[in-house]
Amino acid sequence: MRLSSTLGTIGAIGAVAALALTGCAAGDTDSSAPAASGAALTIAKPDGTISTESHNPFLGDSSASKYGYAKVIFEPLALVNPTGDLGTTPWLAESVEWNEDYTALTVVPRAGVKWSDGTDFTGDDIVFTFDQFLNGTLTDTSGLNYEGATVDGDAITLTFADSKYVSQSRVLHTPIVPKHIWENIDDPNTDPLTGEGMAVGTGPYVLDNWSTESVTLIANPDYWGGELSVPALNYVSYGDNAALTTALVSGEADWAQAFIPQIEDSYLSADEDNHFLASPTAGAGTLFLNLQTEPFDDPALRKALAYTIDRQAYVDIAREGASTPIWSVTGLSGLLESEILPEYAGEEYSVDVDTARGILEDAGYTWEDEALIDPDGDAVSFSISVPAGWSDWNTEQALIAEELDAALGIEVNVDQPDWGGWDAARQEGTFQAIIHWLEDTGNAYGLYTSTMDPKWIVDDRAQFNFGRFDDPAVTEALNTYANASSDEEREAALEVMQTAFVENVPAIPLGSHPLLGEYNTRNYVGWPEEGNLYASADPTQPGIVQILTQLQPAG
Amino acid sequence: MTAVQPPHPTEQSTDTPERTPDAVEAGTTAHRVTKGRSRVPWRFLGGRAVFYAFTLWAAITINFFLPRMMKGDAVTQYLSRNRNVTPEAADALRSLLGLDTDKSLWQQYVDYWALLLQGDLGVSLLHGLRPVTEVISQSLPWTIGLVGFATIVSFAVGTIGGAIVGWRRGSRLDALVPITTFLSTIPYFWLGLLAIALFSVNLGWFPIGKAYGVGVSPAFTPEFIGQVIHHGTLPAVTIIIASLGGWMLGMRNMMLTVLDEDYVMVAEAKGMPSHRVLWRYAARNAVLPQIQSFALSIGFIVGGTIVMEMVFSYPGVGKLLLDATNAKDYALMQGVFLVITISVLLANLLADLAYAFLDPRTRQTEG
Repeated sequence: MRLSSTLGTIGAIGAVAALALTGCAAGDTDSSAPAASGAALTIAKPDGTISTESHNPFLGDSSASKYGYAKVIFEPLALVNPTGDLGTTPWLAESVEWNEDYTALTVVPRAGVKWSDGTDFTGDDIVFTFDQFLNGTLTDTSGLNYEGATVDGDAITLTFADSKYVSQSRVLHTPIVPKHIWENIDDPNTDPLTGEGMAVGTGPYVLDNWSTESVTLIANPDYWGGELSVPALNYVSYGDNAALTTALVSGEADWAQAFIPQIEDSYLSADEDNHFLASPTAGAGTLFLNLQTEPFDDPALRKALAYTIDRQAYVDIAREGASTPIWSVTGLSGLLESEILPEYAGEEYSVDVDTARGILEDAGYTWEDEALIDPDGDAVSFSISVPAGWSDWNTEQALIAEELDAALGIEVNVDQPDWGGWDAARQEGTFQAIIHWLEDTGNAYGLYTSTMDPKWIVDDRAQFNFGRFDDPAVTEALNTYANASSDEEREAALEVMQTAFVENVPAIPLGSHPLLGEYNTRNYVGWPEEGNLYASADPTQPGIVQILTQLQPAG
Repeated sequence: MTAVQPPHPTEQSTDTPERTPDAVEAGTTAHRVTKGRSRVPWRFLGGRAVFYAFTLWAAITINFFLPRMMKGDAVTQYLSRNRNVTPEAADALRSLLGLDTDKSLWQQYVDYWALLLQGDLGVSLLHGLRPVTEVISQSLPWTIGLVGFATIVSFAVGTIGGAIVGWRRGSRLDALVPITTFLSTIPYFWLGLLAIALFSVNLGWFPIGKAYGVGVSPAFTPEFIGQVIHHGTLPAVTIIIASLGGWMLGMRNMMLTVLDEDYVMVAEAKGMPSHRVLWRYAARNAVLPQIQSFALSIGFIVGGTIVMEMVFSYPGVGKLLLDATNAKDYALMQGVFLVITISVLLANLLADLAYAFLDPRTRQTEG
């Protein structure tokens, strides 16, 4: 969601400006784009010119990763759906199976798959890919702690040093690379793969043209997944969100992942074929409170806040509908409903000022001229901090400040530092309240480890658990959950974590963190949609290959 | 002011025959000009060279230390950009990015100079660990080409226009000054967005942005060059519109001052053709401050225009520097700063030299 770019304000004004001027004329421009089959899809990013060529899928800042075209060249063993049913679809493996404690993964490589240079794909390629982490030629940035592979007939068993239950997708989404090419690469971490015949994968598209302005990929004629409707993909990066929005509205770009302010007016109304899909994930935009200092060292105040902050306003106003509110006292979003314990089922916070005031009164708080006074006799006030330019959360800051002032008489300072200052404060614990995302593990563990797990604090710097919650019983439960060898163990651990979260309110989840996608149905249909979330509509996610194989020419 | 006034023996001799020798002897500056032009001002150039060398050293040193005083480090920035990387892997990343050294700042500084002198600017963390020289060389030509062209055109049009407007003061042309000044007070991003909305989205005359079309590779073919011109028109024209006012206003104001000078009045009184008085007498003197500002703006071309690059999705150094700063990509930041520093210094050097030859007063220390 960091796409609310640094020049968010400019973006917002720009989108409106472009629209005000274009009016309905913008809607007409698409008639110039023929709705014939065989049209290329243009996938756009708002990241500015990507001027350095590197097709390395393991390098986060290579052009392949920034645009996301690495995902259509190199395929993973299986695709884990970040939304919808959260299910796993075997992809380059015909089957994937974890052992009881999730330390070993058994895969059967798919038969009949060829690399785009004509060589057969075999189990050796899978073993080779993972062995690169073992012998250190590839840096283990995903923290796989891979220990080795054993081959038994068709089946390959990959073993790991610790349980991968909470990070299955990190293992399964590892891009599989061809052994016959990569074994000759000196430094697979940094090699740009720009030589002739280097960017070879099993994926549905192969590289055709790379320039600083765009990247073109054409359909792989021998793709194992069958015939592809879309003959070519163009990847383009625009200067900022405003430029991207203009391109989407005019039909110059077809598919993007971006937070567009006033999306109804600025994008959807321009053409009835334009669609926007925000698919909720297990992650959430969360208000982290610093539990170590005043005023949030008092659970009563935290609970009162949970009864005051309007999550629906967060979704409707700050996120402009691109989220779903989280009201459950367990902090879990609707997607994870099945993990809510029976005793908390249906237990939800609501905007209930009387309850909030009651909690505060019971804890010894008083009011003086409508200002909240804590039991020590000091007026309650705090700062809420979000980097300037993250327009959605900047709006939420203002909303929270208003709500708390009106309902409880708490003075809230809205603080908008630059990224560096914000980052230092969250790591060193010098903030009072921040809005932050969660580690997304695809299950309830993500929320609880992000808000209560001391493992994130290394050298007194926090990567998560910014409020520095530390309860040995909860820590043990978190560790048990992550390493459990049976579902019963996991359930018992979950009960401890969830109860601790409900009682202590270490953080307040506001709304689910969505994966966004803007696409149009002018030329192709079969996109993920509400009720058929087989993947998110975000073109930078691994699930893009599922979408590309599903698309059919429109009518 | 008479310094650069070229001698016109025939005309002068007819007007004031008996005073001519006195004027040459008494008009000391005129005498020195003829001498100065025949000599290279070595002491002046030497002094400037030392000054520039010192400035370059100071700038590079500041470039080295300044980024390191910012909060946060490259790895946390990398983690925040790449959510698929686990925080547990931070140490592995540090060694991958070459940040695991416990060298002192001083040692890093010495190493930096050693590498710099070998032409090695390091690798850019933000651009797939490619060499900084490669990253910059992909963006620099576009910035220099587009912004450089626009700046030169803007300077030429503004200066010539300003001279004419100043010469015809009181005429209807005076309206040009408030108009161009008004255009340059419009925030650039707004002007750019208006231009895109009108000419790209509504009329469809120009593409929305980028330097050339999708699926095209750079080549020296008429098609490609045509594409570059087509894509570059809107950004170039908006830059010219936005910067024209300053040049025009500056030149016109200097013209008004110069036109009041006695030698202009004399030239007019002598019945010299107006275009000659305008260009050879008035404009030639009025342009001196313009040249200095021009040299400065030439230097800042390389810094790029971030807003233009964002609005028009145009490749360039400005966005490169912004992203590098946000990502704490020291090597790239230093590389871009170095290029900017050198170009600003070079432009100043050229301006100094041009000035020394155009205006003898600046090197009067030569004696």
